[in-house]
Amino acid sequence: MAKLRILSSAGDSIVEWDAARVQQGDPDALAAVREAERIFAEQRARGATAFVVAPDAPARRLDQFDPAAEHVVLVPRVAGG
Amino acid sequence: MIEPATFLLAIGIILGVLVLLPRVVRWWAAQRRAAALLREVLGEAAYRQLDQHGYLEVRSPSRPSQRYRIPRQKGLVTVYDGDKLIMSLCVQPTVRIPGDDTVLMHKLLIEGNEAEYLRIANRRDLTLAAPKRHGK
Repeated sequence: MAKLRILSSAGDSIVEWDAARVQQGDPDALAAVREAERIFAEQRARGATAFVVAPDAPARRLDQFDPAAEHVVLVPRVAGG
Repeated sequence: MIEPATFLLAIGIILGVLVLLPRVVRWWAAQRRAAALLREVLGEAAYRQLDQHGYLEVRSPSRPSQRYRIPRQKGLVTVYDGDKLIMSLCVQPTVRIPGDDTVLMHKLLIEGNEAEYLRIANRRDLTLAAPKRHGK
């Protein structure tokens, strides 16, 4: 399952979808991807940054939503303290 | 017979607990979710290092001799060049997030967006704090 995780005060919220079922055109999987894409765009507009994470690999910044990315974390906007 | 003052105090305590308890439960759940996510992203070895030392070390992607030290508890991120402390950095999320999510935030920003992280950070150059003594 591919995951989009959004960091927030409640911990993180998750949107998940099955990439294989998306390719098959499964309506539920497609709806989940659309929801993930909507949240991605909304959070990016608020200044959040997205990263692809994988075990034992450095994080990679993601500027465009990628439904094939396995694990994406959205970090809220930051400022100098 | 209960004194009116005692009765009011008891009511106050009960109301306080009723108001605070859900917040404490939500806060606790958020901490647990953040710890689980951090553990998943870091893997067991790095998570153990964080647990043992109280900080997470992240290598600079652009300068191999430098590494960032991210504290698990509140505090500044520090930068080391070899064994020498050279800089402290303050970068904060603009929304409140659990402590372990903050550790993850620093790690992701350093690894995936270091130049922007350093541009945003409030920096303190620590190489100037203790000038080298020449001569003897």
